[in-house]
Parts: sequence; C-alpha cells; structure tokens
Amino acid sequence: MDALVEIENLTKRYNGSGHPALDGVSLRIAAGEAAAIMGPSGSGKSTLLNLIAGLDRPTSGTVTVAGRQVDAMSETGTARFRRDQVGMIFQFFNLLDDLTVADNVLLPAQLAGMSRSAARARVDELLATLRISQHKNAYPARLSGGERQRVAIARALVNRPMLLLADEPTGALDTATGEEIGRLLLDLNASGLTLILVTHNPELAASYADRLIQLSDGRIASDSAVQVRR
Amino acid sequence: MMPGPVGRAVRGGLTRKRVQTIAIGLVLLVSTAASVLALALLVDSNAPFNKAFTAQHGADLVVTFDRSKATSSQLAATKRLPGVTAASGPFDEVTASGTTSASSGSIPIPTLTLAGRASPGGPVDDVVLQSGHWADGPGQLVLDTQLTNNLPPIPLGTKITIDGGGGDSKHVAELTLVGTAASVTGSSGGWVTPGEIAKLTGAHVPAGTQMLYRFSHASDASAIAADVRTLAAALPAGAIAGSQSWLSADLAETGNIKAFVPFLIAFGAIGLVMSVLIVTNVVSGAVVAGYRRIGVLKSIGFAPSQIVSAYTGQAAVPAVIGCIGGVVLGDVLARPVLSKAATVYGVGSLQVPTWVDVVVPVAMCLLVGIAAVLPALRAGRLSAVQAIATGRAPATGRGYAAHRLFGRLALPRPVTIGLAAPFARPARTALTLTAILLGATVVTFAVGLSSSLRLVVDALERSKAVPVQVMLGQGGPGGPHIKIKPGGVAGPRSGGRQPSNAAAKRAVEAALRAQPGTLHYTEATDLAVTVAGLSQEVDVSAFRGNASWTGYAMISGHWYTGPDQAVVASHFLTVTGKSIGDEVTIVAGGKPIRVRIVGEVFATRNTGLFMITDWKTVAGALSGTGSRLAIEGPTQFDVGLKPGVSATSYGNSLQAKLGGNYFVLVNNRSSDVVDLMISLIGTLTVLLIIVAGLGVLNTIVLHTRERVHDLGVFKAVGMTPRQTVTMVVCWVAGTGLVASVIAVPLGIALHGYVLPAMARSVDLGLPASFLNVYHAGELALLGLTGIAIAVAGALLPASWAAAIGTGAALHAE
Repeated sequence: MDALVEIENLTKRYNGSGHPALDGVSLRIAAGEAAAIMGPSGSGKSTLLNLIAGLDRPTSGTVTVAGRQVDAMSETGTARFRRDQVGMIFQFFNLLDDLTVADNVLLPAQLAGMSRSAARARVDELLATLRISQHKNAYPARLSGGERQRVAIARALVNRPMLLLADEPTGALDTATGEEIGRLLLDLNASGLTLILVTHNPELAASYADRLIQLSDGRIASDSAVQVRR
Repeated sequence: MMPGPVGRAVRGGLTRKRVQTIAIGLVLLVSTAASVLALALLVDSNAPFNKAFTAQHGADLVVTFDRSKATSSQLAATKRLPGVTAASGPFDEVTASGTTSASSGSIPIPTLTLAGRASPGGPVDDVVLQSGHWADGPGQLVLDTQLTNNLPPIPLGTKITIDGGGGDSKHVAELTLVGTAASVTGSSGGWVTPGEIAKLTGAHVPAGTQMLYRFSHASDASAIAADVRTLAAALPAGAIAGSQSWLSADLAETGNIKAFVPFLIAFGAIGLVMSVLIVTNVVSGAVVAGYRRIGVLKSIGFAPSQIVSAYTGQAAVPAVIGCIGGVVLGDVLARPVLSKAATVYGVGSLQVPTWVDVVVPVAMCLLVGIAAVLPALRAGRLSAVQAIATGRAPATGRGYAAHRLFGRLALPRPVTIGLAAPFARPARTALTLTAILLGATVVTFAVGLSSSLRLVVDALERSKAVPVQVMLGQGGPGGPHIKIKPGGVAGPRSGGRQPSNAAAKRAVEAALRAQPGTLHYTEATDLAVTVAGLSQEVDVSAFRGNASWTGYAMISGHWYTGPDQAVVASHFLTVTGKSIGDEVTIVAGGKPIRVRIVGEVFATRNTGLFMITDWKTVAGALSGTGSRLAIEGPTQFDVGLKPGVSATSYGNSLQAKLGGNYFVLVNNRSSDVVDLMISLIGTLTVLLIIVAGLGVLNTIVLHTRERVHDLGVFKAVGMTPRQTVTMVVCWVAGTGLVASVIAVPLGIALHGYVLPAMARSVDLGLPASFLNVYHAGELALLGLTGIAIAVAGALLPASWAAAIGTGAALHAE
C-alpha cells in the first residue's frame, strides 16, 4: 500500500535544551491503515499526533501527508489542510458549548465554503449514520459523553477527510461507551478511512488497530502488526 | 513592600498578563492626560484675568502725566501717597497713530502708546515675554500681543518705520521688532528703550510719562475714581493727561472666555464619563478574568484579604505608572493650548494648576482601586471551587439564541459567530457600547462644531466676501505713523500733506475700476453714535450703494433696502430692548436720526454695539454746518474680487498704484479664539477616540482570554488566521454599528445644544446656517465612526488571537 503519512527524523523540543518530546522519529503509515500509537504519559504520543495534524511545528524533521509537507505550510495552509484532509477527535470532545449539535458539525463545512444546502444535507446524513439525529438542535452540555463523542466524530467527517486522527477518543468514556466508539472507528476504517489512534489502553489498541507503535521517551520502542483484531 | 506571597502573586499576575497590564496602563495614561487637559482649561477659564492680574502684579491704574506740568521728583513722590501699595515708573511714552491694513507690503497698525522701559519686570505690571527678547539696545521694539493678534503675522526682525509726524522727518525712527509681550492690564501697545522715546519726541510731539500704580482700594469704578483724585491732589493742576484702570481690561477679556465654557463643559463631561467607564471596564474585567486564578490561589491557602490585596495591587501598579505618565502627557499637551488660551484671554501666561496635577491622578487611582476591589471582594467571598468554575466560561445559556439567530444569516460563518459573541457578556458589551458611542458622538459633535466655528470666522472676518480693503489716510499733522515692512526694507515715509477725502475717494475709485480682478466695491464710513440709555457709543458702518454682498451673516429680518433703515448686531437688540421692526434714535454729529431696525446680523464689533446702514441715513449729520464731525467721504473701501483672483497679488498691485497715502489690507485674518477652539476640539477628540479604542482593545483581550480554548477548537477544525481575525473583529463590529447609528443623531443634538449655548454666553444670535452644517455625505461617513473605532481597537488583539498556537490553545483552560 502507498504511504499516506510519511514522517522522517521528526524531533520536537518544547524548550531549548531540555529532553525532546520526540526524538528522531521516522515512520510510514499506509492509506487505509489503522495505527495505534501507545506509550506512557510523556512519551510523545499527543505531540506526534499534533505534528501530523499541523497543530504544532517540529523542531526538525518532516511530516508529509498525501504528498504535502505539513511542516512547511503556513498557518493558513495547515488550517486548510486540517479542514479538507484531516478529521480530528479529542479525548474531551472539544465541542463549542454555545453552538447546537448541528452547528458544531456544520462548522468545518462552513469554513470550507460548502454551500448551505449541501452542508446541511451532509450533516443530516452524518447525524443519521451516527444515530444522533434526535439531538440535532440540542446543546452539547445536555448530551452524554458518548453522544458528544459521536458529534465530534460527525464534525471530523463532514468534509470527507482522508485521514482521521483520534487522541484518546475513549479516555473520558465508560467502558461500554468506549467500546461503542471503538467499533465506530473500526467501521470507519473498514470503509477506507486511514486511522491514527493515540491511546494508553492496550485493549483498545488491540481491538481497533492493525498496527501498534510503541513510543518511549520520544522514540519508537516497537512497531508491530496486531496479530488478531477483535 | 508587600508580604511575600501577595507580592509574588502580584508579580506573577503582572508578568503573565502583560497585555492586560499594558492595557490598564495605557487607558490610565490617556484618560489622565485628557482629564488634566480638560480640567486645566476649565479651571484656567474661570476668572483667568483675576488670577493673571495677581500673578503679574497688574496695575490698578495706568496714568499718563504731562511732563511739562509735573517734575520727575513730584511723580516719584506719588509712590508714597496713602493708599498706594506699589508703583512703577516713571516711563516716558509717546502715542503713535495709524490705520490697520494688511498686505505683503506695508502693514500699518492702529494708534498705540510706546513706553520706554529698560526691563519687563517691576513691582507693578510684570510684562510677560511671549517671543524673542526685550529691547535692550537702540533701534529695538517689542509689541504687545493684544496688538499683534489683530494684525497679519509680523515676523521678528521686521523693520518698522515710526514717523514722528509734525510734517518733518526729524522724528522718524526705524526700529527692529525683537519680541512680543503681554501686559495683563494693557499698559502699553509697545516698548522701547528709554533713550528711544527721546528720538521720537520733541517740540511738535511732546512726550508723556506713564506711571503704574496698585492701590489698597481699587475694586470698583468709584474706588478707582477716588484714587485718581488722590493723585491729582498731590500734583500740580493739569498734570494728569489721562488714565486707564484694570476694569476696562477685564471687560474686554470676559467675552472671549465665556464662549469657551459651554464647549469645555461638554467635552470635559464626556471625557470624564468615558474615562470612568473605560477604567472601570478594564480594571474590573481584568479581575473577573482572573477568577480561575483566584480560585487556585484560594485553594492553596490565600485568605480573602490577601486575594483583594493581590488583585488591587495587580491593577494599581500599571494604574499608578499610567497616571504619572498621564500627568506628564497632559501637561505637555496643555502647554501649547494654554499658551494660546493665554494670548486669547490676554493674560500673559497660563499653566496647569498644581492641584490639577495632583487631584486628577489621585482620583483616577481611587477609581481603579474601587473598580478592582469590588470584584476582588466578590471573588474573595466565593469558595475556591466556585471561583474556578465562575472563571472558566460565561454563564451557560447566555448568547445561545443570538448564535442561532445570526447562524441563519447568509454571511460567512466567522462573521456570524463574531456578531453573536457580545450577547454572552451583556454587561461588558453595554460598557463597550457606551464607550464607543461616546467616542463616536464626540466625533460627530466635533465635526459639526468645527464646521460651525469656521462659518463664525468667515462671518466675523468676512474674508471671503471682502478679501481686500482699502483704507484712506486721516490727513493733517498728527502723531507718528507706523508702517511695517516685512523683509527688512523700510517703507517710504508718509510725512507730508494728505489728500482730501473727496480726492482720495476719486483716486481709489479710479484705481479700483482700472484694476483687473475687481468684481465690485463699496464705500464705507465708520462713525460712532450715541443711543439714549446706552453709556457706551455704538459703532456704525454707513455704506454707499449696494453692500448686501459684504459678507455680514443675517440672523433674522433682512438687509436694509434704503435710507433710515439699519441692521444691527444681537447685543444691540439686547441692551436697547428693541426688536426687528422697531425704530431707534441715534445721535450722530449732535443730530438725532430715527432709524428702523430691519434685520439682525452676526457681528461682535464693539462688543456687539454695532449698526450698519445706508450712507444717506447719516449723511445729513456728517456734513454741512452745525456738525461736530467733518467727515466728507468714506473711510474705507470694501472690495470683492472675481473668482480665481489672488487677493495678495491684487493687493500688492493696487498698493503700488495708490502709493503711501493709502493702505491696502489683504483680509486674511482669522480668529485666535476660534483657532484655539478648533485646535482644542481636535486634541480632545483624538484623545477621547484613543480612550474608546483602548476600551475596545481591552474588551477583545478579555474575550480572547476567556475563549482561548474555543479559539483552539476553531483553528483545529480549519479556521484560517484571516477567518480568525474576521471573527474577532466582528466580536465588536456589531456593537460599533449600533453605536454609530445612535451616535450620529446624538452628536447632532449635542451640537445643536452647545453651539447656541456658546453664542448665548456672549449674547450673540446665530444664523440658522451655522447650525445646519451636516451634509448627507458627511453624515454617511460619520455613521461609520463607531465601526471604525471598534475595528481599530480590535485589529491588534485580533491578530494576536490569530497567532495563538492551536495546540497551546486547545490545552488552555
């Protein structure tokens, strides 16, 4: 399979002389792959995800997604890249409390300039697929954790990205809900979406990823295929 | 020094929230400066003459003595008379005569007294130097600013020819203007060295002697009269040639000052209200924005009193620095303004009162303290958990409906999100709206007031309608004439026989008819008449032919259409109790004349005791036997020019053709009072706009801090930096638009209230055209003022918001 994400010798330091959060990491993730990045707290998992998404800039090294070098883009370029190519899901959902569920999901489409009718149709489709249509006009504060994460997933998918980045997507959820979300991610990957998942939960990684990358102290400790996915 | 933990909390707050700290400092700087300037002007406009009189040891009485009747020792002895508390002199003096005109050639000036003084100081009448230096050698002249302010600009170094008159050239002196100065009691029109007076006087032009006195009792006219009698009794009969008291100088300045007060009050009140609003918004907002930090401090053991101390200190540090800087800035801004005001008021010099420099910053710091203490006290009473929760985000539910409503608009999403944001913080939005509203109102008011004041100047000076005037000489032997030649070349001596008025008139008319560029002209004769019941004489301008084009602005009624009709200034109607249509009897040359008042004009000449009529109304009184006046013809010609003709070139050419017996004035006078007002308007308006803009900046900074996590989300889902700037600017653009809509009619209403109040304070009517100064295009632009202030204040913090790192913002709480 062709590499969708190529990372070459990536290093990130948050202060001048301290220990790097990422230290010379190189890896390739193929299109359609589901990769789980694991490691203890402070190992550099979220830093790696942020650099792939263009939320931050590396100290050195390169990040290339779909042939485009993300670390060399301007702020406007990375914003458009995230809007058009990448969907992001966060541990604590990062929904906007003063917008309805529909408005939260619509936001990336509106920022991308999608027509109102097309955007609304897409939102309705996603809410139905994720079984949260009944909450269309509700505010996030009134939803359960699982429902909020579904809204966040819908928002991440509205512009049909090629890459889905999930940072501890079940970290704030109970076990049952977390499994629901995990199966959802599995389904999305099965439909062709490339998935990079950051988690400290080995069971989640084993269940929903087919490749396990272990980070330790900013370096790749191991990179192996998951033998059997549940 | 503060206790350790509180001091560290203050230091931490100041360094971590640099933008907020700087915003507080800047707001206090500008607000304090504006308040110092406005208050200093208000205070200095309150009886400035009395204060200057005391400070400069003004003379209660200026007495001119006949040197042939009193010796120097007799004059010196008057210093020790009972009731005399101080005296200066004797100073030899001479009276010069001339008429006022202006061109780049000769500039004559009116009759003035020249006194010989070795220095400007003394126990009485401390003369304040305004430019250049005092006359300290032969051939030097210092002129009083009350004289020079009414002439075209005369640069230092100009050669001045003083003609001794008497029909010969023995008493002609060429002097160099080396300085200007101000005497609070107007003791003299100019000063030279004592030796210079001797050159200008002689058998035909005797010198007088001037002495200046202060008395223990000189508060009113009767006390002054008693003082004069005391002096007269101590000297030989006829020694006192004339006298002038401080009362006449005071009266002359009061009118100018009164006109300032309503407009200063308007600006001062708006400025103070804005300063209070913005300071309150900035400081209390900074404390409220720190509620989460307060919660954290409480959770680690800070007592409520320590919380209050920490946050009051955090506001006080930049506030004190800003106030100190504001006092300095206010004094710097006030210096040129007060210098000009002193010239207008005729009081030598004005300074910012020391107590203003103390009271204003103290009041500002108190305001800051109150604005910081109240929310800090509230936070101190909350539990740590409540404080943290309160500090995280606006109350749930606020602004949600606005987001739904604006989300339906067919506008870019960053715009609709931005427009809905103010509804989440209604109190803060109301304060910001008020600040922008006041700033925009001031702009509308200032634009209208400036336009109106320019119309006032045009109407008073009539320089557009009458750009050139030709003055005819007085004829006959007399005192020295003064001609001023800028550029250092002395003008021709004007001694010798003057042509008769009839001949002069024929010569001028011929020259005007022949001069290219002449559109029309009219002849005017100025005379003084008396009116029953008035102690002061009334100035009359009597025109030959059509004079309706001469630029006098009609307030009511109409221009006279024939003899025995007149138009008058507003004050004339007030003091005589007459109305349009009434008849009044004037006495000219001893002859009573009935005149019907048909119109009211805008004029301040002779403090408003002024009348304009047809020459035929007064012709019978001015000529023929039995008349005490011998004016046979006009005293000046008012000339209108064809479009595109340069008044200066025309004036120079006409002067060259007419020669030295006539004075051609290029009428490009402006009004010092109006110039001062317009410069004040500009300065105060700019300051208040800056205060409003800083208020907006602070609002955006606070909002950005509260919504930093949301900003991270917006950026994470693909909002570009430009879209972020657009959204942030729209946080206040809607508020600015609302402010604009309200500010325009409010500013127009303020203009409609203040301008008439200014006119009423000096008993002036106003033509309707002076109020109807707003044009449609102008109003459309003024309607954008509020938005402009909002956008200008928001752009910088919007760019900061766009530059915030997305990852850092997402992890901010």
